[in-house]
Amino acid sequence: MKTPDFLRLLDELLELPAGTLKGAEPLKSFYQWDSLANVGFIALVDRHLGMSVDPGKIAAAETVKDLLALVQEKLE
Amino acid sequence: MNPFDLSGRTYLVTGASSGIGRATCLLLSAWGARILAVARHEDRLRALMAELAGTGHLFERADFETEEDWAAAAKEWAERHGRLHGLVHAAGVQTTEPLRMLDAQSFRRMWNIHVRAAMLLTKGFACRSAHAENGGSVVFISSILALVGQPAISSYAATKGALVSAVRALAIELAREHIRVNAIAPGYVKTPMFEAVRQTLGETQFTALNRLHPLGFGQPEDVAYAAGFLLSDAARWITGTTLVVDGGFTAQ
Repeated sequence: MKTPDFLRLLDELLELPAGTLKGAEPLKSFYQWDSLANVGFIALVDRHLGMSVDPGKIAAAETVKDLLALVQEKLE
Repeated sequence: MNPFDLSGRTYLVTGASSGIGRATCLLLSAWGARILAVARHEDRLRALMAELAGTGHLFERADFETEEDWAAAAKEWAERHGRLHGLVHAAGVQTTEPLRMLDAQSFRRMWNIHVRAAMLLTKGFACRSAHAENGGSVVFISSILALVGQPAISSYAATKGALVSAVRALAIELAREHIRVNAIAPGYVKTPMFEAVRQTLGETQFTALNRLHPLGFGQPEDVAYAAGFLLSDAARWITGTTLVVDGGFTAQ
């Protein structure tokens, strides 16, 4: 999957207009990034990339780029 | 006379190759029953056959995600393998999924496996030629999540909740055939599905969940005993109900 397409999925997960996220944004600037969104990220990654991610690493992510790094192997 | 002696009886169990379904097959065979085990994977079904007590057990492959006529299949299996004394629908999938991630495909899958299959298999079982002449017992494996809420599990809860309602209506309709219909609502039980949930939640949340169970997490056998009871003559006056087997989770 191309990185911009994955960012669109993250926009959707955080209920942001498509094209909002670029990568440098700190996750805590989004009130939508809560424990439910963490679980949603796991479901999203499983459904679209067919991989699983350690929930501890998701909770430790500070920026959108940190989230991208967790799934880098599946992104073009 | 031991009401838990199931010798001479045949039971169809779905989800037979793992978790609660598998434990149910093992228990029922230990109580003397003949098992018609149904699951998706033939290798796991063959492994189960080798573990069952007694002889004469059989298996059929089926993927309840697909929209086949499971009523016709159940009827055909019974006509081919012998009349059934009961049915346990333990096939299930779980998706931890916040509402914002809900999509039609995942919901349809859950609906097909949990509800569509349960209803159609029961329809097949209820045919006069498919069940024993003195009636029978149907058990759906529901979930405590049909009764109490947790976040990120609404599709699963909706489909498991449908089973709680279904058993009431089916119990009334099928009483004239001497077919009892009940559900079991298990709490968190240590099965492969449970391990997948554990991976999703992470250790902190998982530990918190453990603390919500006064008697700790359950074992598949705990639910199998409940299924065996509901299938047996000891439950001959029980129909249309959902038996909660959850280590006290819903008591608080």
